[in-house]
Amino acid sequence: MWLHLNFNFGFNSSFVSKSLKKLPLTVAGLAFIAGINTVNANQDGLGPKITIPESSGESCILPSAEMRRQHPDLLKHDRIQTLREGVRAKADGGKLDGSLKQCVNCHAIKDASSKFVRIDNDQHFCVSCHKYAAVSIDCFQCHRDIPEGDGEFHALTNHKGINYSNIVPGTSSLTIKDMANIAPEVISDDN
Amino acid sequence: MKKLHFLEVEGNTKGFFTFLGLFGLISLIGILSAYYMEHNGHWVTGMNNQIIWGTPHVFAIFLIVAASGALNIASISSVFSKTAYKPLSRLSGIMAISLLSGGLVVLLLDLGRPDRLIVAMTQFNLVSIFTWNILLYTGFMGIVGVYLWTMMDRPYNKLTKKAGMAAFIWRLILTTGTGSIFGFLVAREAYDSALLAPMFIIMSFSFGLAFFLLFLMGSYKYTQRELGDYIVSRLKNLLGVFVAAVLYFVLVYHLTNLYSADHRDITVFILTGGGIYTFLFWVVQIALGSLVPLFLLYGPTGKNRAMIALAAALIILGGMAQLYVIIIGGQAFPMSLFPGMEVSSSFYDGVIASYAPSLPEILLGLGGVGVTLLLMTVAIAALKFMPASLADEVADPHSK
Amino acid sequence: MTINIENEKKGAMTTTNVESSRRNFIFGSVAAAGLTVAPGMMLYQTANARSQSEKATSKVRWGMLVDTTKDVDWNKCVDACNNEHGLGNEHKSRDDQKTQYIRVVDVKNKGTGYSISLPVMCQHCEKPPCVDVCPTGASMKRPDGIVLVDRHRCIGCRYCMMACPYKARSFVHEVLSDQKENTPRGKGCVESCNMCVNRIDNGQEPACVEASDGAIIFGDLNNPESPISKILAKHGGKQIRADLKLNPGVHYQGI
Repeated sequence: MWLHLNFNFGFNSSFVSKSLKKLPLTVAGLAFIAGINTVNANQDGLGPKITIPESSGESCILPSAEMRRQHPDLLKHDRIQTLREGVRAKADGGKLDGSLKQCVNCHAIKDASSKFVRIDNDQHFCVSCHKYAAVSIDCFQCHRDIPEGDGEFHALTNHKGINYSNIVPGTSSLTIKDMANIAPEVISDDN
Repeated sequence: MKKLHFLEVEGNTKGFFTFLGLFGLISLIGILSAYYMEHNGHWVTGMNNQIIWGTPHVFAIFLIVAASGALNIASISSVFSKTAYKPLSRLSGIMAISLLSGGLVVLLLDLGRPDRLIVAMTQFNLVSIFTWNILLYTGFMGIVGVYLWTMMDRPYNKLTKKAGMAAFIWRLILTTGTGSIFGFLVAREAYDSALLAPMFIIMSFSFGLAFFLLFLMGSYKYTQRELGDYIVSRLKNLLGVFVAAVLYFVLVYHLTNLYSADHRDITVFILTGGGIYTFLFWVVQIALGSLVPLFLLYGPTGKNRAMIALAAALIILGGMAQLYVIIIGGQAFPMSLFPGMEVSSSFYDGVIASYAPSLPEILLGLGGVGVTLLLMTVAIAALKFMPASLADEVADPHSK
Repeated sequence: MTINIENEKKGAMTTTNVESSRRNFIFGSVAAAGLTVAPGMMLYQTANARSQSEKATSKVRWGMLVDTTKDVDWNKCVDACNNEHGLGNEHKSRDDQKTQYIRVVDVKNKGTGYSISLPVMCQHCEKPPCVDVCPTGASMKRPDGIVLVDRHRCIGCRYCMMACPYKARSFVHEVLSDQKENTPRGKGCVESCNMCVNRIDNGQEPACVEASDGAIIFGDLNNPESPISKILAKHGGKQIRADLKLNPGVHYQGI
């Protein structure tokens, strides 16, 4: 949902940078969805940072950039088809269906003690990004947040990156600008 | 007859801010209660899978029903051309909107997912009476808004009668809709009756007027405006008629239900063996809420303002009791899965469901009343809803 | 016990003999409902088999037939249901606030003393009152007759619970975690038996049917050749509160 909101209110960058100092989390999240072009290169050191799990190389039903952008619509489309119409086709012709269950099975993340992290943990795959962008998700009020048993697929997450402390500034690898680069489509269209 | 003159209530006074603060506080407590209920889930309430709708619904439906009734005064003036009620019609209109808002706030905040209000406003199942009610409530706000505008903007006064007629018809449909929420539930013996819709309409007359009269007397007292006997006596006589009419409907409703074997069990339950519901029915609804007010209004105390106010308050109390018995008593009585048989299960089939209102539920319900009064307080200070004086020489059309 | 599985119409599975002690139907003349293709997985026969990429259609109407005369411990069905849907994970709710999709109801005739027990779940009405009253369309009937709640739309008004004559619905009174991945359920929404729609779409029978030792038959009521239709045609069945004319998809024998 949030990726489709493009608030280009004409922030000037000095306003953004001042606000960032005051309200790093919320305003950074807003800036992130608001049009990354307002954040310039010398602000790399500012604001919270985010670690997203490394990809293992296997791909989802769409390339990562498109998944980042389109996953809410895909899920919504699929939930209507599945629940209301009874269509449970595999989206990629066999291996993956477009269900949230599938998302969770592939993207589940284990903590240091090899247990899946739950939705109340900032390391949870969905939470890591959604918390960063300050966009709440209520999927997991009803849906199961981790795989049943050991999970089956795990293809899309490399579990090497255990050291997630993404919301704490300065401890991890990506900045706002990096986010802008990994999700370039956020600002490209959809006005 | 002196000229009628409308005037805002002076806002910059200690009294005004006291009431504003008081009603604001009650509203705030109600909203905090709702937050508590929603944050934890409904397990913190007395509601369960048998008593599905609890105390908040009693308050909400009372306020919604009263909203429709509060508009009665304006309707009598515009639609039935009774000039005696004309000075009160603006107040009547704004009170209808305020009561409806208070009731809807409670109804909304008791939802399992109030955060999904947008779903309720965008995804309509037009077969559902609930959907009709959502449309009727929103429409009511709009129509009464327009009605108020034609009353208060002089060039448009000529449209008042038409707008009043529209609002009058709309409110009859609205209360029919509210009553039908229950009346269409064929599975529940307590509700399965077409009589519920007209009964809700006459209940709305009574509850709405009682609330209106109480507010009128209170606000005129605290703003030191004059309220003559002519208006009060007309209103209290009308109120008495409505109370008697409700009694008549209650009598017919229970008699028909007693006569048909289908509904006899539930009626006997409410009237004789229902514990708290039987008590609420006979003592609060019938005695305190109907007979005592009738005596107070028509008896030797009929000219005593304090007694009239007491009667109005008792009618409100009796109305709440009546809705409690209808809504919660009706759910407490088990549905008959196998008519004529004894049933039992782990899911409380065949037993009287137990329910005790929890504090957050009551506070949420009172919060709705608080919202209503808060809106009224702001409204009468912001715009010219209240006549500066309702002394007899202003209000009585026959006065010299 | 070896049962002969009849081949129905075109598109159905090959005739085969299946070893299955669970499939001991009361009416020997009628063939069992399905065949085992893998351990734990039953394929029921239908003239209108549908692939997973097709929408559910009204050509099929799923229904169940419960034989209450059989000496079965219905609690096994309840347990299977709870297990399948992950019920019982409420920790704060009172007993009268906890969800039950299927319950065992004891019915006794006061006059004669005759008594029976039977499992009662959502009756999957043809004209479900819960669907009629739902303001948002969250309470819905799939074209193949399965009544269920779309929790994405449910606002928790509970009007469907007021309307249901079978008391089939429950409201989730607290925050849940550890749901089953095939049965998402959570605070503030109403829920009920969904006939194990996830299993049906996967070619399996509902969990209670599987656990019933053959006392509950599942199948297509629209197909006169299906075992459930044949038994209903030959021996009849009753619906609970048939007087309400909701035409439930769940039928009973012996009530």
